[in-house]
Amino acid sequence: MASININGREVELDEDGFMVDPEQWTDDCAIYFAPGEGINELTEDHWKVIRYLRDYYKQFQIAPMIRKLCKETGCSLKYIYELFPTGPAKGSCKLAGLPKPTGCV
Amino acid sequence: MPTYKDMVQPVRATENDMKKIHIDPTPDDQKCDKALQYLDEMRKKFRSFVTAMESCVKCGACAENCHTYLGTKDPNNIPTNRAELIRKIYKRYFTLEGRWFGKLVGAEDISLDVIEQWYSYFYQCSECRRCARSCPFGIDTCEVTFVGRQILHWLGIVPKLHASVGAAMEKVGNHTNLPKPGLVDTLEFLADDILEEFGVEMTFPVDKPNSDILYIPSSADFLLNEYTLKGAGLFFSYIGANWTIPSIVAEAGNFGYLFDQRFTQRHNVMRLLDAAQNLGVKKIVWGECGHGWRAAKMYIPTMADRPVPWPITHIHDEVAYYINTNQLKLDPTKNSKPVTLHDPCNYARACDLQENLRTVMKASVVDFREMTPNKDWTFCCGGGSGILFDDPEMYQRRIQLSAKKAELVRATGVGADGNGILCAPCSICKAQLYPMVEEHKLGVEVKGLIDLVGKALVWK
Repeated sequence: MASININGREVELDEDGFMVDPEQWTDDCAIYFAPGEGINELTEDHWKVIRYLRDYYKQFQIAPMIRKLCKETGCSLKYIYELFPTGPAKGSCKLAGLPKPTGCV
Repeated sequence: MPTYKDMVQPVRATENDMKKIHIDPTPDDQKCDKALQYLDEMRKKFRSFVTAMESCVKCGACAENCHTYLGTKDPNNIPTNRAELIRKIYKRYFTLEGRWFGKLVGAEDISLDVIEQWYSYFYQCSECRRCARSCPFGIDTCEVTFVGRQILHWLGIVPKLHASVGAAMEKVGNHTNLPKPGLVDTLEFLADDILEEFGVEMTFPVDKPNSDILYIPSSADFLLNEYTLKGAGLFFSYIGANWTIPSIVAEAGNFGYLFDQRFTQRHNVMRLLDAAQNLGVKKIVWGECGHGWRAAKMYIPTMADRPVPWPITHIHDEVAYYINTNQLKLDPTKNSKPVTLHDPCNYARACDLQENLRTVMKASVVDFREMTPNKDWTFCCGGGSGILFDDPEMYQRRIQLSAKKAELVRATGVGADGNGILCAPCSICKAQLYPMVEEHKLGVEVKGLIDLVGKALVWK
C-alpha cells in the first residue's frame, strides 16, 4: 500500500493504484490519475462518466453494469473506450475513485 | 513490479487481504518447514496427487498439449516440468532414493526460491486439464496445481485477485462485491431494456419464496455480460418458470475451488444450500460459468455434509431439453452472423457438457462452424482458473496464453470479415476473451450461448 500527495492532500492507494477510500476523492484525483490511464486531457464527457460512476457508487456501493453506464451517459461502449483507453472497468473506475472491480471482469 | 528472479508473478494479497480470508501469513523463516508439513498432509490424503508424483515417466506428451507452454515456450510451463517443481521436493523428503541420493535423482532441498517458483508457475497453469487428457498414464497434472495453490494459500501467498474474490464472497455473497440493492437495480434496468428491445414484459425475481427454480448466475453477468442475464431471464419467462435469483449467493463461480478447496470453497457451497432451503426451491439451475459448474456438479455432493435434495442442472441442459421436446420456438435467422464455439475446459473435460451446447447452438444460429480441435480436446482461452491478472507483465502473459486459441478461432474463418461471433459460455472465458480478441485482431464479438438463445426466441 502506498500513499501519494495530490495537491497537498495525502491519498492512500492499493497495490493496483486504486484509491483505498472513495470518500477521499476530489476532482484533483481524477486529474492526477488521467495520464497514467492514457488520457491527455479530461473533457466534459470524461467528467460526465466520472460523475455518473460516483453517483451510482454512492447509492449502490458498486459500479454500474457497463450497459447501464452507456445508456445513462449516452456514450457508446466504443466511445467509452476512446475516452478511457484502459477500459471502463479499470480506467474510469480508477479516475472516479472507485475500488478496483473484482471477479471475472 | 511483480517479478521474482526473472519469474512473472501475479500481484499478491497483502497481510490484511489474507486476514479477510482467515489466514495469517507464515513468516519467511518458517515458510519452508510449514510447506513441508502441508505437503506431507496433502500427499497422505490425495492419491491423485501421489500418482502424479510417482508415475510420470517424462514422455513429454503433455508439452505440446499445453497452451501455456505453447504460448510462452518456458520449459517450466511444460506440465510435467511444472509438476516437477513440487515433485523434486516430494522426492527429497518423502522418498528413499531422494533422501539418500538427493540431486542425483532430481531431488532438491526446499527453499524460499522454490516456493516463489510455485507461486509463479502454479498461477500460469489454468487448470484446464488438457495435459491430463493427453497423458498416456492418465496423470491429472491439474491435481498438482491444486496442491501447490492450496499450500501457497496456507502459507499466505495468494494473488490479490483471488483473495479479493474470496473476501467478497464471504462478505456480500458474490465475487464482484455486488450488494442486493445494486443487484435489484441492475435487474430492473435489464427488464426495462428487454421490454424496449424484445417487446417482452418480464421481471427478474430476487429472493422470491416458494420458487421452483433457483437460478445461479455469474456475478460478472451483472457488470459485463448483459445478454447472458437477459438470455436466461427470457428463457425462464418463455417457459413460464416460477424462478428466482438468490441475493445471498448470486454467484455461479467458486474461487475457493481455485485457491482454497477447504474453507473458501465450502463456505460458498453452504450459502447455496441455505438459499435453496430457505427459498423452498425444487431445483437449482446453474448459469454460464466453467469452473463454477465443475465445482457445483462434481464437488457439492461430497462437500455438502448434509443431504442435497435438489437436482442441480446447467441452464444449457435445460435449454437442450426444451429444444429436444419441441417446447421452444427459436428463429436462427435472428443470429445470422457466423459463429464458432469455444468449449470451456471445465464443461468439456470435467462435466460432460459438450453435445447439449451444440444442440442449443444449432437451434439458435444460422451459420455455426466448429473449431478444431474441440470438445474434450479444446484448448483453454488462457484465462482458466481466474488468471485474469491485468498488471502490465501478467497482461502480456495473458496474450501469450491465448495465442493458441486465437490461432484456432482464425482457422474457422469466423471473423475473417470482421463480423463474426465467438461464443464462449463461461464468465472467465468471456473476461479473458473480450480484450484478447482485440489483441489478436480476430474480428469477432464474444458472446455467451444463452445470449444467442435469448435473441432467437420467438414469442407468441
